[in-house]
Amino acid sequence: MLANFLIGLREGLEAALVVGILVAYLVKTQRRDLLPQLWAGVATAVIVSLAFGAALTFGPRGLTFEAQEAIGGTLSIVAVGLITWMIFWMARTARHLKSNLHARLDDAVVAGRWAVLLMALLAVGREGLETALFLWAGAQATGATTQPLLGAVLGLALAVVLGWAMYKGAVRLDLRVFFAWTGAFLIIVAGGVLAYGIHDLQEASILPGLGALAFDVSAQIPPTSWYATLLKGVVNFTPVTTWLQAIAWVLYVVPVLFFFIRSVRSARPRTVSSAGAAPAAPSSTVPAVDVTTGGTP
Amino acid sequence: MSRTLGPVRPARHTVAALGALVLLAPLAACTSNESAPSTETDNARLTVDSSADACSLSASEAPSGNVVFSVTNTGDDVTEFYLLAEDGLRIVSEIENIGPGLTRDLVLVAKPGSYITACKPGMVGDGIRSEFTVTDSGTDVAPTGELADQIEAATTNYVAYVKDQSEQLLTGTEAFVAAYQSGDDETARELYASTRVHWERIEPVAESFGDLDPRMDLRQADLEEGQEWTGWHLLEKDLWQPTPEADGGAVYVPLTDAERTQYADQLLADTQELDDRVHTTEFAELIDAATIGNGAKSLLDEVATGKVTGEEEIWSHTDLWDFQANVDGAKVAYDGLRDVVLAQDADLAGELDAQFETIQGLLDAQRDGDGFRLYTDLSTTEVRELADAVNALGEPLSRLTAAVVL
Repeated sequence: MLANFLIGLREGLEAALVVGILVAYLVKTQRRDLLPQLWAGVATAVIVSLAFGAALTFGPRGLTFEAQEAIGGTLSIVAVGLITWMIFWMARTARHLKSNLHARLDDAVVAGRWAVLLMALLAVGREGLETALFLWAGAQATGATTQPLLGAVLGLALAVVLGWAMYKGAVRLDLRVFFAWTGAFLIIVAGGVLAYGIHDLQEASILPGLGALAFDVSAQIPPTSWYATLLKGVVNFTPVTTWLQAIAWVLYVVPVLFFFIRSVRSARPRTVSSAGAAPAAPSSTVPAVDVTTGGTP
Repeated sequence: MSRTLGPVRPARHTVAALGALVLLAPLAACTSNESAPSTETDNARLTVDSSADACSLSASEAPSGNVVFSVTNTGDDVTEFYLLAEDGLRIVSEIENIGPGLTRDLVLVAKPGSYITACKPGMVGDGIRSEFTVTDSGTDVAPTGELADQIEAATTNYVAYVKDQSEQLLTGTEAFVAAYQSGDDETARELYASTRVHWERIEPVAESFGDLDPRMDLRQADLEEGQEWTGWHLLEKDLWQPTPEADGGAVYVPLTDAERTQYADQLLADTQELDDRVHTTEFAELIDAATIGNGAKSLLDEVATGKVTGEEEIWSHTDLWDFQANVDGAKVAYDGLRDVVLAQDADLAGELDAQFETIQGLLDAQRDGDGFRLYTDLSTTEVRELADAVNALGEPLSRLTAAVVL
């Protein structure tokens, strides 16, 4: 029961958190009109996952293991690109809000309309297939006992609650702080997703180095413990990490976080202090980060 | 405006990429879940019981082909099941997230070889490992289902056809040799072309036994230095003795009775040898869709290089008999595979049907009684028409093997 619960929690958490942040973002920027688009993305992902899961479980043909991993891995890397783009889009939008450039904001939101839907789709759909396969296996087992299915569903429910709590907390934040913290959080999440995607591709033998481990802390952090579940669900931390995963994580998180912090800081002097504004002011007229190149997936 | 348009691009690219993935996945990446209509064997179904400290498989080996591991987690912790390569490192297939009380199936197409299975209760460590063997069921890599049945039927039929033609060749050769040895040249000349058709229909098979073809079917023009000339065409020349002008100025010396007996006996012995060889099981095992397809093409090449030039039967001029026999052989080979070609490449089947019909039409126009007009009686236009038809058929025929094998 507990183990199945933790699986549901782990698989659901990351999607719930990303969706929570997306909702919070739309609410805070007064773009509630885009919420249906977002929920459409979530619903599509859930339906597609369940349909695929059912087809692969009960249908005449299933995905090969390599294909399952290759799709999961590729979608993860696409998701990382999108999240990265969104982070800088947010940071830029925050600056626009400060300068009351509503026209520009609208343009950005128009551009982001599809991205919002797609990101919700990816955030939920990325692990959706695996979860759906698990749920159908649970459904098949309900003849014997409903416990596994119940456990998994409760886990998913808790994940949704945590995502909602995250949303509530985020909505209360001051806009600048909101962008800074959610942005930094998302970068860590995206780094984890990237590492996870790399691991999937390693398992599918598309990338090498599956046996070359950077560290193995599974003795200290058992993968089935609740804290490992939270770490995995929130930032995609895996107790057994290969060198390629670790390197990809560092190569992604370090520069992206650096550019992100720089862009957040460059936005700050205009509103926070006028005394220290002199050296930073010129740079704020030019975007600190070229969003189109820095964030392209 | 360019800046505001900028962000649109990545999103669109992603939509396209995502769409491509969704489309690709079901096409390229499927494995059979349940027993596909396979002929001999059903899925090998094994059960795996993964508890806290054990990983028990219902069997330690399975035949190659579709293998299903039905993994039940009877422990309290989440478990995973892996099928690893012999080195214990490479993952052949895996199934993760099997919660307590759940059963999940790992389905894969397994190749013969040694493997290692592992259950990982708690998803840690190397897991509880044991060795696993996939034996060769003989049905692994070959296509399964209807297509495989068709290819199998084509192969069986073609082998039967070769045996039949070889038997008829042997019977015909016996009569021919008897007439020739007794000095009844008239009968021997009548039997010559009609007996050889059985040879020409299965010539690529005879050629596959490297030693027989040169002994039986060598032309004088192709003789190499120091090589003894034996076989059909030696007797042909003796039956249709050339004038000195037709034989490069030399006066033809007929074979003596002793020589007649010797060469005719050898031809008969070689024919018997050929017949014996095509009746062995080893021969039947050699024949597959590729040899049939390549054989058909090679028969047409025979026509193109020998028959349309009139060089094959340079003394008897019965080339059109051979021509027809080669086309017959190719047609039989193709007909056996036609269902497969139709399923794989309907356009190719249509083209082959049309070209075979054209060439047969041209040959029928040259019929004379039971046989054909002599090659030397054909006009250059008629020869060119035949040559063109051969080339037109040869091109699609060269794609036959690829269509049925790939």
